[in-house]
Formats: sequence, C-alpha cells, structure tokens
Amino acid sequence: MKRRIDLPLLITLTTLALFVFVPMISAFEYSIRTPVEGGYGLTNYKWAVADEDFLYYILRSGWLSALTVLVTLVILVPTVTWLHLSDSKLRPLIDGLSLLPLVIPVVAFAVGAQISLPEFVQNTVLELPFLYFILALPYAYRALDIGLNSIPLKTITEAARSTGASWSRTIISVIIPVIRGAVMGTIALTFALSLGEYTLTVLLHWDTFPTWVTFVAQENILGAIAISMMSLIIPFILLTGITLLMPDRSAQRRK
Amino acid sequence: MTSNIKVEGAPLERSAFRFFKVTSVLPALPFLLIFGFFFIYPITKLIYVSFMSNENTFTFGNFQTAFTQPYSTGFVNSIKIAFLSALIAAFPGAIAAYFIETRGPSKLKRSLAMMNGVLANTGGVPLAFMFMAAIGMQGTLTKVLKYFGIDIYAGTFSLGTFTGILLVYLYFQLPLMVIVFSPAIMSLRREWVEAAKNLGASQINYWFRVGFPLLFPSFIASFLLLFASGFSAYATANALTVGNLPLTPLQIGGLLDGNVSASQLNLGKALSVVMILISAVAVIPYLIIQRKAARWQRR
Repeated sequence: MKRRIDLPLLITLTTLALFVFVPMISAFEYSIRTPVEGGYGLTNYKWAVADEDFLYYILRSGWLSALTVLVTLVILVPTVTWLHLSDSKLRPLIDGLSLLPLVIPVVAFAVGAQISLPEFVQNTVLELPFLYFILALPYAYRALDIGLNSIPLKTITEAARSTGASWSRTIISVIIPVIRGAVMGTIALTFALSLGEYTLTVLLHWDTFPTWVTFVAQENILGAIAISMMSLIIPFILLTGITLLMPDRSAQRRK
Repeated sequence: MTSNIKVEGAPLERSAFRFFKVTSVLPALPFLLIFGFFFIYPITKLIYVSFMSNENTFTFGNFQTAFTQPYSTGFVNSIKIAFLSALIAAFPGAIAAYFIETRGPSKLKRSLAMMNGVLANTGGVPLAFMFMAAIGMQGTLTKVLKYFGIDIYAGTFSLGTFTGILLVYLYFQLPLMVIVFSPAIMSLRREWVEAAKNLGASQINYWFRVGFPLLFPSFIASFLLLFASGFSAYATANALTVGNLPLTPLQIGGLLDGNVSASQLNLGKALSVVMILISAVAVIPYLIIQRKAARWQRR
C-alpha cells in the first residue's frame, strides 16, 4: 500500500517545489555568474564573506537575538508558570494582552516607539531585544502556554517544592526540562524572528545584518544578492536537515 | 439563621480576599511593566499624538490629510495588494495543506512545515534580492522565459510595480497559508467521513454538508491573517520600489525618516493609527475565530 504513488499528493508537491525552487535556483544561477571573466564562480560569495563587516554584523545580529531569547525566557517562563498555577484573575487579561502585538503593524509600532521611548533607552541598541520581545510575544506566549497545558504542572511543582527546591530552582531544573519541546520552539522562533527583523530596526536607525544587506546593495548588487541567497538557503538546508535527522516523536506524543 | 451568618461573614471575607489580590499581582509585575513600557505606552502615545496639531492643540487635521492624495492612494494600493495576495494564495494554499496533511508521511509533513516556516518568516529583504536575481531585467528566469518566447518585460511589468510586488508577496503568503490552515485540516476526523458514508452520503455530499462548513471559519480566519500580513509588509516593498508605488507602510517610513516633508508634523502618526484600525478589522476576527475553532479542534 505504501508503494502506491499518491497522485494528488505528487501533483501538490511538484507544484509547490516548482513554485519555491524555480525562483530560488534562478537567483542562485544569477548569483554565481562572473560577468568579468564569463562563466561561473563564487566571486560574489567570496567578496561578501571577505568584507570585514560581514562577520561584524552577523555577530551583532547574533548576540542581539540571543539577548532577545534570554529576555523572553526570563520574563515569560516564570510569568506563564505562575499564571497557570495561581488561577489568577489576571490570566485572561494577560492572554489577551499577549496577542495585541499581532494587531499592530510593525511600522506603526516603530513610529510609536520612536516618539515615546525616553532618550536614554533610544540611545542604546539594548532597546532592540525588548522591542523584538514584544514582536515575538504572541508566538512565544502561545508556545509556552500550550507546553504548560500539556503537563500536570501542579503535581510537578508541588513535588519539587515539597522536596525543598526553591522557586527559581523549580523553574530552571524541573519545569523547563519538562516542557523542553515548547521551550525549544520558543527559542527557535524568537531567535529567527530577531535575526531577520528589518522594519523596526531600520526605522529606528539601527544597523543589523538584514539592514546591512540593503546598504551593501547600493555599492554591489551582486554581493547583496549573494548574501541574500546565503541567508535564505542556509537556514533552509539546516532546518530541513535537522528535521529529517531528528527521530520521529510525533507518533509517540499522540496518545 | 444560616443565611444570616453568611451575610455577616461576607464583607470580612471579601476584604481579606482583596488584600490577597494585591500581593497576587506581584509575580506578573515584571511582565506587565515591560509590556506596558515597551508596548502599551508607545501605542497610547502614538494615538494621542496623532490628534495633535503642530502647535500641540487638539485637531482632526492629520486624519483629514491622511485621506487626501497621495495618502488615500497609498491606502487603496495597500488594501488592494493585501486583499489580492491573500485571495490568490488562499485557495492553492488550502488545497496544498489538505493533501499534505491527509496524505503525506509524517517526516514529509515536518520538513515541509519547517520549510514553510523559513519561507513565511525569513522573507523581507533577502526575498526582494532573490526575486531581482530571478525575474529582474537581467534575471535568469526572465532570460529562460525569453528563450521560450515569453518576454515578461514586453509590457509595463517591472518588479517595482503593483504586479511585481504582488508576485513577490505570494512567495511568502502561500507558505503562510499552508501553516495557518494545516491545524484545521488536522482536526477533520476520519470518523466523520465514515459516519457520513454510513448515512448514505456521497463524497460530494460529505464535502458540501460536512467538510466545507467545518473548514470555512478557519479558511476565513487564515485569509484574514494573510490580509494583515500583506497589509503590514514593509521590507520587501521598500527594497523593490523607489518611491514609485504609493503604499501606506512606505509612506509612513518616508515621513518618519524625514525623506518626505509634510506640513503636518504628526501626519505619519495619523497614518499609523489608520493602519492599526484596518489591521485590527482583520486580526481581531481572526483571533476570535481561532479561539472558537480551537475548542472543537482539541482532541
């Protein structure tokens, strides 16, 4: 039965593959052209990687994203855990608040941030992790909420507390490991969102990897295309590879 | 007698409870403070300032200007591009989600979910450059098509036009549709098909009486989310156009940077508030439908 070719699925996959890969492969072909010598080569890629700004901006975007993940986990995990444990009347309120950023277009949020945040905040790039935290909040909150819903949180916490664990210890070495799937999801999502964020960053006049690419484009469009291809294809291959290599747990998880 | 005691006991109990409530807000305080400072405060101030004239007096003037040229065209274009990109992506996206979810092996499903996630979210600037390389004036795909006798640049087409931007938006709208619509497909239970068949329904009967009505709210919700995503998109359009296509997010960006001068200092804020309202009209029904659907989707 497994061997039979499923025609509708095959057509769907072929169409999707054409839709996704035709522009991607075309662009890749364009990016490896070498107009001066003719033929193909990795000139544009070498040019981009050799630029000292390349590493600088990758690292800068990297640590800003890591900081966003840290801010998200430090603020959200205790808050959501507490909301689940206490049956607080605040829970529906915070559930609703966490979804609000979805309603506000990022451009409007950027304008609001620029006219309201005090100067000492706007003068430091450290404002970005907090603003990215807001952008990722609807997804991060939901992921943690679902994770905590799926475990017997009260029993686990009582067990940890009654055997003498402090609150911070309970969260770090009991709750986070139990919901590691949801935590990993939150980390991946927040990190990816921060790494690719462009609109808010550029409107608040900060430089990160995505805004640097548009700057490069002004002097070397081929270099910018090469960088763009790397930032699309590398996560694509990496994430797909990880998914394919990881053991299939969905069958076990579903009762 | 018993009821008497209860009445007397009530006020005491309530005041004790109230005291408890004040302290019980404390654990949520870090979240509320950061959310308030970095989100509620900026948005409130934005709305407040949008009603301020240059002399800081109350006015509707900014909103009046927001609905005149070229800003009204900006809104029309933004709504049109959001609506069309959502509409074009919605049907193929829903059908793809259906076949992948019902017929695909689990590994395929997971890797496709991952790929769709990358495509729908990486987006922005890299996507713009990718399309420049593919179907720009000198792009590879342009040349391949030309070789087969199709010259996409024969007419008025260019990547910076309405059609060009629409095409690029579809590249992230379609994967987004597959992502947001898949949960609805997953919740269609096989038992329902069997139940309908046992009651004598044909395949067509099943779809029109059971399948479509069940999926319809989620389909509308997904469409609304796609609309909001197309409406707010900034990065791609910003990289592809050079001020030739009026779109509201770009106009706001221009006003914020001072690239475009307006006699009203707070015009950009009024445009932002109108954007929020339009986006809310799409996102709030989406959230309500999702919440209702989640109830019966939970197994």
